[in-house]
Amino acid sequence: MPLKWLLHWQPNAGTTVNSQILSEVSQCVESINGAKEGRWKSTLTFYRPVLRDQTLQAEYPRDCLGISLQEQPNKYYFILRSQRIVLEADSTIQMIMEKLQSYKSRVSLYFEGFQYQLGDFQLRVGKVVPTHSENLRGIVMEVEYLPISSLDKSRQIMEDFVDIWQETVSKRSLPGHFMHIEPNFAEYGLSDHYTSQHTAVQYAIVMAQLIASVRN
Amino acid sequence: MVLDCCLHMKGTNTGTELLICVGLLRDEPKLRAMECVVQGIIETQHVEALEILLQGLCGVPKERLRIHELCLKSGPNLGAVASEVRLLCDLEQPEPTWTVRHVGGAMRGAGAEQISVLVRTVVESKASKNVLRFFYTLGYKLDHELLRVGFAFHFQRGAQITVTVTSVNKMLKLHATEEAVPVTPGIQLVEVTAPASSDNYTEVVAAISSFCEYLAPLLHLSKPNVSAGVVPTAAAAAASLMSNGGGKTL
Repeated sequence: MPLKWLLHWQPNAGTTVNSQILSEVSQCVESINGAKEGRWKSTLTFYRPVLRDQTLQAEYPRDCLGISLQEQPNKYYFILRSQRIVLEADSTIQMIMEKLQSYKSRVSLYFEGFQYQLGDFQLRVGKVVPTHSENLRGIVMEVEYLPISSLDKSRQIMEDFVDIWQETVSKRSLPGHFMHIEPNFAEYGLSDHYTSQHTAVQYAIVMAQLIASVRN
Repeated sequence: MVLDCCLHMKGTNTGTELLICVGLLRDEPKLRAMECVVQGIIETQHVEALEILLQGLCGVPKERLRIHELCLKSGPNLGAVASEVRLLCDLEQPEPTWTVRHVGGAMRGAGAEQISVLVRTVVESKASKNVLRFFYTLGYKLDHELLRVGFAFHFQRGAQITVTVTSVNKMLKLHATEEAVPVTPGIQLVEVTAPASSDNYTEVVAAISSFCEYLAPLLHLSKPNVSAGVVPTAAAAAASLMSNGGGKTL
């Protein structure tokens, strides 16, 4: 499948993300002739272990994330970041986890917004909001390059595109910038050929960054 | 979330109706994933005759089965209650495929006692090949593992029915599927299952019960854990099948 980079908005120190920035970013896409196509939404859920003895918490993963992706409606992904595990399963795995009652879903976040077509690129600009609130927690952007599935072969063109994008955004003098962190996919057992498992891992990494930003 | 079901028998002018009431204790999908199942045992020497009978009844080719089943249980500290999940690895595929299977509670109540088919909740999910490592990391432990070797027939007869005939084998060393030995030498397990939902399991129960009657000359089928043993006249029935070449009424 086509590869994608997931960028996230890194606010400048002392500032927070807000809907004005989201609006400006969307305008940037349209200013470079991105054609608005429709909405998209992915969901990320934090799972925590249910333990009889809380003092043994350290023995269990505290960073279990579940992700459903727009482009894979029948699949669900679990990521255990500290163990570098990404599991792809049918969406019924959520029902199994509910029945097991060993891990409970806590907070869920939506990544949602509009998608745009721009030549061979498909862009998705999205806000990050808790499922029962409109509090903006972050801004993300998916940059998908449709012709290529190889991470290595696409690297140059993706870097060139992101450079142009960063320059376009910087002209608006917004208090922050987009960042791209490339996970070490090999540590997760993933190859150069891009898959939705790669996307799930990128979302987990971005989530960690968003949490770190809020803490700082 | 607990599935609370009971069966009621209701007398009418034209006969007896079987009503199935499902109590939902919390938010649940309306069409709950369920399974109807009966099991039986057959001597290995009669499996060939059973295969001939099934071939005639089902009209589809058999599918070979080689399933490595790992039963995982939650560690002592995990979850308010203990939980169990099964991982099934299909070794017959060119690239082994994994399925996660959760078997839930069976229907309860006086009515459920009266029907000869077990109806239980079951949820399955395909998963990537690192699923065992995933559950170990979550805190699940291997309770036991089995290798099921045999064949299956899948066909439509009032319901989507699957008949599996397998020898159940245990591994002498951890995950050593090449060195498995039968748990009960000379005896194989027959399972008849069909998926069902809270809307249609009366029909599915009826379809399975009806189909099982065709197998009666060779084996008794009953709810799991309610063993009826082998059929005393199975040898004669098997001989008849083998001499007829199958496809004929016993």
